Amino acid sequence: MKIKSGLILRSVGGENVVVPVGEMSKKFHGMITLNETGAFLWKFFAEDHTQEEAVAALLAEYDVSEEIAQKDVAKFVEAISQGFAE
Amino acid sequence: METRSEQKLKIEDVLAQKGVYVGPTVGISMLPMLKNRRDTIVVKPKTERLKRLDVALYKRGDAYVLHRVLQPIDGGYIIRGDNCYSDEKVPENAVFGVLTEFFRKDKHYYCTDEKYIRYAEKRLKTYKRRRFFVLFKAKCVAAIKKVVKPFRKK
Repeated sequence: MKIKSGLILRSVGGENVVVPVGEMSKKFHGMITLNETGAFLWKFFAEDHTQEEAVAALLAEYDVSEEIAQKDVAKFVEAISQGFAE
Repeated sequence: METRSEQKLKIEDVLAQKGVYVGPTVGISMLPMLKNRRDTIVVKPKTERLKRLDVALYKRGDAYVLHRVLQPIDGGYIIRGDNCYSDEKVPENAVFGVLTEFFRKDKHYYCTDEKYIRYAEKRLKTYKRRRFFVLFKAKCVAAIKKVVKPFRKK
């Protein structure tokens, strides 16, 4: 799984916001706000990775239980599956 | 974890709810500062009267317009895009946002940066010269077309 090209993460006033550019800005007119974990996963999925790899990366980066990491990754994957991933 | 997405958003609603709008640029009227669908703008709600050089967000019909304030006037502003050659009178109540930051390619600029203010001043200062060259070029192109037209094959 990989984030589609044309969506870039911007950090504005401590907030992480995903903004469309190029052709993607013709199709997507929304604004996606991510928290710290979401931004981490967004950057991680900028490259092609599996859900399991994301859980491992989250566990390595943050002091969280495997259960919470799995839950967070599943929620994130579900969100980006709605047209933001390829 | 929070992930929120608002499809088909209205910028004025986002400003009212979140206090900031971050989005892509569309159009060529603010070139060379903002390039169509490449750069990102950060707009905040207008909380006070705008000043000269501020970049105002307002609506013309259904379209959002982001242009520079040339001069505050009674009841509104004289406004013009950096890449435009005509001024517009915009009423105060039509303006609801102001550009505070932007990303040009990946470089982040604040509208309070000295370098940015120097750019904005220079853009206004060179307006008459730019306008002369644009009109001159347009007249030359029209004249050339007029001369070439009779010789064109049908």
